[in-house]
Amino acid sequence: MVLDGLRRIVRNFIESREYETSVNEFVKELQKELIRSDVNVRLVMDLTKKIKERAAEERPPPGLTRRDWFLSIVYEQLVNLFGGPERPQVKPPKKPWVVLLVGLQGSGKTTTAGKLAYFYKLEGYKVGLVAADTFRPGAYEQLKTLGEAVGVPVYGEPGSKDAVSIAVKGVEFFREKGFDVIIIDTAGRHHREEDLLAEMEDIAGRVRPDEVVLVLDASIGQQAFEVASKFHNKTPVGSIIVTKLDGTAKGGGALSAVAATGARIKFVGTGEKIDELEVFDPKRFVARIMGLGDLEGLLERV
Amino acid sequence: MFRRLKSVFSNFVERVASIAFSKEKLLGELEELKLELLSNDVALEVAEDISSKLNKAIEDNVVKSREKLVEYLKETILGYFREAGSIEFDKAVRSERPFKIVFLGVNGVGKTTTIAKIAYYLKEKGLKPLMVAADTFRAGAQEQLKIHGDRIGVPVFTGRYGVSPASVAFDSIAYAKSRGFDVVLIDTAGRMHTDVDLVEELRKVVKVVKPHMKILVVDALTGNDAIEQARFFNEKVGVDAVVIAKVDAYEQGGVPVSIVYAIKKPILFIGVGQDYKDLKLFDPIEYLERILPA
Ligand SMILES: Nc1nc2c(ncn2[C@@H]2O[C@H](COP(=O)(O)OP(=O)(O)OP(=O)(O)O)[C@@H](O)[C@H]2O)c(=O)[nH]1
Ligand SMILES: Nc1nc2c(ncn2[C@@H]2O[C@H](COP(=O)(O)OP(=O)(O)OP(=O)(O)O)[C@@H](O)[C@H]2O)c(=O)[nH]1
Ligand SMILES: [Mg+2]
Ligand SMILES: [Mg+2]
Repeated sequence: MVLDGLRRIVRNFIESREYETSVNEFVKELQKELIRSDVNVRLVMDLTKKIKERAAEERPPPGLTRRDWFLSIVYEQLVNLFGGPERPQVKPPKKPWVVLLVGLQGSGKTTTAGKLAYFYKLEGYKVGLVAADTFRPGAYEQLKTLGEAVGVPVYGEPGSKDAVSIAVKGVEFFREKGFDVIIIDTAGRHHREEDLLAEMEDIAGRVRPDEVVLVLDASIGQQAFEVASKFHNKTPVGSIIVTKLDGTAKGGGALSAVAATGARIKFVGTGEKIDELEVFDPKRFVARIMGLGDLEGLLERV
Repeated sequence: MFRRLKSVFSNFVERVASIAFSKEKLLGELEELKLELLSNDVALEVAEDISSKLNKAIEDNVVKSREKLVEYLKETILGYFREAGSIEFDKAVRSERPFKIVFLGVNGVGKTTTIAKIAYYLKEKGLKPLMVAADTFRAGAQEQLKIHGDRIGVPVFTGRYGVSPASVAFDSIAYAKSRGFDVVLIDTAGRMHTDVDLVEELRKVVKVVKPHMKILVVDALTGNDAIEQARFFNEKVGVDAVVIAKVDAYEQGGVPVSIVYAIKKPILFIGVGQDYKDLKLFDPIEYLERILPA
C-alpha cells in the first residue's frame, strides 16, 4: 500500500550525518513517495509543511535524540493522514445494521458486498444482501452468485428499474425477518453524473442506512479527493473500503478521501476471492511502512 | 484581417515577457507546471521527464517567456503522442476477415462495456461483429455481455463458468469463420498484472487466438499505476493500442500521457459514458487543450 518506499527513506535518514540537511532530504523524498502513491498533491504539501514546522518549532523531550523525535513527529502526522490512531470499529453497534455501499463505476462494490457478507457471517451475524443496482447489466446475477457462494440470501427484483424501491423493500424484507446486518449494493456512479447522484441521495434518504461506505479502487489518482467530497456532500460517508490492493497501486487516493470526508478506512480488499478482505489498522500500518520495529517503544518515551 | 497587428502585438508582449522573465523566474514557473501536471495525474516519472526536458530548454535559452514555456510543454507532450504513432481503426478492422481483437486490462476498468460500445460502433458502420464472453471467472460476466448483446443486437459467443478462457476463445474463432463474422471482439476477465497464473492464462488466450490487435483498456481515473499497468501488459502479453474508459468522469486526467510515454502505443478511443454511443475517437490535440494551462 501507500509509501512502501518509506522504509528506505527512513533508513537513509537514520544513517545520514548532518541532522538539518537530512531533515530536508527526508521531507523531499517523503513528498515524492506520497505523490507516487497518488495522495492529493495539495495534501502532500500541507503534510510536509506541517512536519517541517513542527520540527523547527518544537523541542525534543529530554532523553530523546533529535532524530528519534523527528521520526515520532512523522509517525504522528502520517497516522493522522490515515484518519487518526483509533482502531476502526467493525462490530455493528446495533441491530439491524444497515450498510449502503456507494462508489465509482467498477470500484469493487458488488464484490465487496459479497466479501462483507462473508466476513460478518463468519463473525456469527445473520446477513442479508440487497441488489439495488438496476443499471449495470448482470448486476443482479453477479450479487446473486456471490450470495450463493457464501450462503447469504440476496433480495433483488431482476427486471425492475427502480433502485430506490428495491433498496427500501429489501431492507424491510430482512428487517422483518430479524437479520443483523443488511448490506445494500448500488450502481456505480461518478461525481459528475447528477441524475445518478440524486438516485443515491434518494436511496439514502429513504433507507436511512446506519453506515454509508465509500468503496474506492486503490489505483485512483488525484481525483479521489473531489470524488469523495462530492459523494460525502450527497450522502455523508461513514467509512471507506479500499479495494484491489493486491495490484501495484498504492492506494494513496484513499488517503485523500479520508481527508475529504473525515471517514476512516475500515477494510482493504486484497484479491478477487471472497475472503480477501482485511480490517485496516492505521497505527500498525504506519509503523510497518516506516520499518521501525521498536516504534511503539520510541513513542512511549515521547 | 488583423493578423498583422496581432502578431506585432504578441511579439511585443513576448519581448517584454522575455525581459521580465529571468531564468530563475522561469524555473519557478516550471516547478508550478510540474505540480500542475502531477495534480492532473500525469505520473511522477513522466512529469519528471517533461520537467527535465523543459529545464534544459530554459538553461539553453531556447525558452525565454512563460508563453514559450507552455508552448514547449505542449510540443514535448505531443512528441510522446507522435512517437506512439497512430492506427486507423476503421481501415484496420477491414484488413482481415474475421479481424480478431482481444481486450486486456486490470479489474473493473471498463473492458466489457468498451467491447459492447465498439461492437455497436462497428455495426453502425455496416460490419458484422461477434462478441466473445471469454471471462468465465467473474460472477455475472457472461450475463453482462449477453445483455449488452441483446440490447445492441450483436451476437454473443458464451462459455460456461469455470472452463478455460482459451478454449472459449478458440471455439469462437471457428464459429465466427463459419458464420461470416467480420470482427471478433474477445472479452477477458480483469486481472491484476501481479497475478502470475492469470497472466499466463491470458497469454494462452492470445496464443490460440492469434489476434490482429490487442487492446489495453485503462480507467481514466487511474493515478501513477497507469504506467505499471501499461508496461506490464505490454511486456507480458503485448499491447497494440489503448482505450481509455470513463473519461466523462475526468476529462483532464493525465492517463493518456502516462500511457503513451510508458509504452509508445496509440490511443484509439475514449469512453465517455455508459451508453453504447459514448465512444469517441481519441484526438491528442483536443486532449492537450484540456489538460494544459492556457
Ligand atoms: N484483484 C482484485 N480485484 C477486485 C477486488 N475487489 C474487486 N475486484 C474486481 O474488480 C472488478 C469490479 O468489481 P465489481 O464488484 O464488479 O465492482 P462494482 O463497483 O460493483 O462495479 P459497478 O457495479 O459496475 O460499478 C471485478 O473484476 C472484481 O472481481 C480486489 O480487492 N482485488
Ligand atoms: N461513466 C462511465 N462508466 C463506464 C465507462 N466504461 C465503463 N463504465 C462502467 O464501469 C463499470 C465497469 O465496467 P466493465 O465493462 O464491467 O469493466 P470490466 O473491465 O469488464 O470489469 P471486469 O470484467 O470485472 O474486470 C460498469 O459499471 C460500466 O458501466 C465510461 O466510459 N464511463
Ligand atoms: Mg456492482
Ligand atoms: Mg468484464
